[in-house]
Amino acid sequence: MSRKPTLSRRTVLRGAGALLALPCLEQMLPGSARAAAPTPAPKRLAVFYVPNGIHMPKWLPTGTGAAWELTPTLQPLAPVKSDVLVISGLANDSGKPDGDGHHAAGTAALLSCTKAFKTEGTELRAGISMDQLIANHLAREKATRFASLELGIDAGRGIGNCDSGYACPYANNISWSGPRTPMAKEVRPQAVFDRLFGGTHPGETQAQAARRRAYGMSIIDSVREDATSLQRRLGTTDRRKLDEYFTSVRDLEQQVDALGGAGACGMPTAPGGDEDPRAKTQAMMDLIVLAFQCDLTRVVTFMLANARSNKVYGFLGLSGGHHAYSHHQHVQSNFDALARINHWEVEQYAYLVRRLKEVRDGQGVPLLDNAMVYFTSEIEDGNGHIHKNLPVLISGKGGGAIGTDRHLRAPGVPIANLYISMMRAMGVPNVTAFGADGTQELPGLGG
Amino acid sequence: MTSRPHERRRWLGLAGTGCLLLLAGCKSDSLPSARVLPDTPGGTPPIHIAGCENTVIDPGRVTLHRLNRAEYDATVRDLLGDTTHPARAFPADDHGYGFDNNADVLSLSPLLMEKYASAAEALVESAWTRGTLRTCELDPANPEPCARDILSRFARRAWRRPVTAEEVQRLLRPIALAKQHGDPPEAGVKLALRSVLVSPHFLFRVEMDPEPTSAAPHKVNAFELASRLSYFLWSSMPDEALLQAAEQDKLRTPEELEAQVRRMLADPKAQALVSNFAGQWLFTRALDSAEPDPTLYGAFNDTLRRAMRQETELVFQEFLTGDHKLKDLLDAPFTYVNDALAAHYGLPLPGSTSHQRVDLSAHPERRGIFGHGSLLTVTSNPDRTSPVQRGVWVLEQLLCSAPPPPPPNVEGLPPAVNPNMTMKERMAMHRALPQCQGCHRMMDPLGLALENYDPIGRWRMKEVSGAPVDATGDLPDGNVLNGGADMRRFVKEDPKLPDCMTEHLLTYALGRGMSNVDSCAVRFIAATAEARGGRLSDYILAIIFSDHFTSRRGDTEAQSP
Repeated sequence: MSRKPTLSRRTVLRGAGALLALPCLEQMLPGSARAAAPTPAPKRLAVFYVPNGIHMPKWLPTGTGAAWELTPTLQPLAPVKSDVLVISGLANDSGKPDGDGHHAAGTAALLSCTKAFKTEGTELRAGISMDQLIANHLAREKATRFASLELGIDAGRGIGNCDSGYACPYANNISWSGPRTPMAKEVRPQAVFDRLFGGTHPGETQAQAARRRAYGMSIIDSVREDATSLQRRLGTTDRRKLDEYFTSVRDLEQQVDALGGAGACGMPTAPGGDEDPRAKTQAMMDLIVLAFQCDLTRVVTFMLANARSNKVYGFLGLSGGHHAYSHHQHVQSNFDALARINHWEVEQYAYLVRRLKEVRDGQGVPLLDNAMVYFTSEIEDGNGHIHKNLPVLISGKGGGAIGTDRHLRAPGVPIANLYISMMRAMGVPNVTAFGADGTQELPGLGG
Repeated sequence: MTSRPHERRRWLGLAGTGCLLLLAGCKSDSLPSARVLPDTPGGTPPIHIAGCENTVIDPGRVTLHRLNRAEYDATVRDLLGDTTHPARAFPADDHGYGFDNNADVLSLSPLLMEKYASAAEALVESAWTRGTLRTCELDPANPEPCARDILSRFARRAWRRPVTAEEVQRLLRPIALAKQHGDPPEAGVKLALRSVLVSPHFLFRVEMDPEPTSAAPHKVNAFELASRLSYFLWSSMPDEALLQAAEQDKLRTPEELEAQVRRMLADPKAQALVSNFAGQWLFTRALDSAEPDPTLYGAFNDTLRRAMRQETELVFQEFLTGDHKLKDLLDAPFTYVNDALAAHYGLPLPGSTSHQRVDLSAHPERRGIFGHGSLLTVTSNPDRTSPVQRGVWVLEQLLCSAPPPPPPNVEGLPPAVNPNMTMKERMAMHRALPQCQGCHRMMDPLGLALENYDPIGRWRMKEVSGAPVDATGDLPDGNVLNGGADMRRFVKEDPKLPDCMTEHLLTYALGRGMSNVDSCAVRFIAATAEARGGRLSDYILAIIFSDHFTSRRGDTEAQSP
């Protein structure tokens, strides 16, 4: 079962922003993937979320179809233009709040297309997100050690209410494993690294690995018995909380089971960048590439900041908060500030796309070709809180599902339809409806 | 919050003090009947709450409560002597109703479970190495008696209740497993210790309902009450004294309960109330992420950030054990500053880099929390003061009368803001718009009265533009607040203040949000606390004696399929 790491101690990540020096050689592929030679290349999904919408005049290309040009905000995508699809016009009506609370409601509905129940805590309710439906499907196939990764840059707000009566989980999570369970995200690159590679024990013998698994399983069996006996004595609401426990234990069990097995990639060097937001973002992008490259997961969601973030982008020469700028009130200086922030956001996204294009899989094909790197925000314009005409990019061809180098117009089409297409591209069978308004695949996505 | 009088009329047991609510068999239009409260240990006169005479008190229920990060760290500190703060590596806890100990939003993700599992391994390894857990020597030939001793002692403390023989028996199982793999018995004991720390009995604060589907209130058991107390006051597990009091069923008497509370408040562990309750109620936690514009407010730095935070914490700390009325937080005639902060405030330097208690009789502008740089900074924008944020803070955190959010799309309304306007002129624009004035007439005057404090809490006579500060705010009733002193007095005299402070404290104490059905209980607790003397400890005791704290009920919601 255990095998010697063929590439151990190779420098992979040398501090934040270092290029990945690790070629994805055939021997790095999971054992199962190598054994059955002609398996189709794995598909991968990365979601890249930015808060507060986008200043659209500098974002939206004028031309449509293949006759499109990069706008000032999209300029960082120049090296990968041929791999980018811009979609305009998509709407997520489920993101509309009851009263105010556009950011939290829009973010809760971002990938679930389900209206979040307005509450500061009691009876938290949103919907399962499309990345988690994909992760569930891949987990059943035992595709990777981690069914999904949830990443971000910022922990939650420390105080106050998060958005006009909407609980903070709505604002801080785009990934939901069920209507009541947000998938907590990791915001420290070092911790992500430890999580991805901490389970690898280079040089471990078969007996040692077996013992470690048996010990891990004994803990899991023991706590599961505790939980089962407890569950019988609880009321409905408490049982639901305990269900989260059971689900988490099941996930842990799968990981213990996979220890020392598939996905070993040697032990790369940990990234730095836990403090500076630029270094931190780049480290997270590198980790996404690494997780894909080592086939540790195929589904990643990433939040560049939480909903309604009022982060001050001092390194862009800006002194006001992002959310404050987004309520631009049609003031030119606010437009300028927003355009700068948006440009920076696209730059980070473009870095991820570029890296995925450079890194190749075992067949020598760029990872990007079989991936979808999805960029969006919870609203269009921050001033008016519009939930239509959302900013949407998809980079990568998703193994043929996406026709790139185009600007596709889809006015008024539910974004849930795009998600149906993406889930199908990721191999989820029989998806015909999703969220509140997803009824069919998005036509024209393949070009 | 509005009260919701209940149709049913009956006698109700009120707090653990045995006080009773007298409900007359009257119709809703008859005169209010009296609530009769026998003497509590503090000697409280009867409490009458208008509008609540016919209300049946429902203690509600707290959802299975996962330990949050602060609670996890404090618990392993007290359980294992571990001060490494392992929960810092856990994903951030979300918060609801203003606090991150809200049981309903404390979910348990797979990521967190992974962290629990690895933290448990590290915690056990390090405690085992230190010898903390080894109460006896494991005899390799017959390890069971010692293992049983170690594990039952540990599980009792970790699970905060007696453990059953069956549970201990189950914990012994890994010893045989270790033997199978050729490991000594201590490997098995360590596995069992790890499983104790990943068990739901450790990670959750479990409270059982005898009848999980019945809405009839019942007292929580002695161990559940001990945990409610210790997590409220210490954010941590019950200590041995409290656990033993629960085992001897002593927490039933109000005298013993009050004695325990006073003992706990005097313990340094009560610092948890400062950092976890006050840190969120008073927003001092937001200082961590405050980023005043360095070009305009370059005086703000990390030294000042820490000093401001410490000032508010020390003042609150004094309220915890001192003899001040809680309301005096608004205009306390003392504070704690070091040289850096005193210079920032324009106060005489105490001649120390550590905080000293200073008298403010000669500096009324620094009295109470509205004179604290912490609060003034976190309620400002990076580049200017925000009378709206300051006003909303007062309304939400002190008066619990938050205005409704702006109507949809109001932000896009012209005309655009002219940055050269004075603050007063800008605020006047809010009130010129019919759809805005309703709320801004409430918020703006409270914030405008604090305009003499700049975005980092310095006293000023001029705005950034050079225009003289106009710190007058016109209240909706036509009265004018002229500066901070007026504003403090106005808020302090507002009858909603005690109820609101109770609401925040009770939300934190229970780890659940308050709703309309809790309104009468909140008002009753506030009135009780005020009658006892109005100190923070009186509020805490009034909460602890209340049915909301000592009771719960089952869950009437239908079983999900």
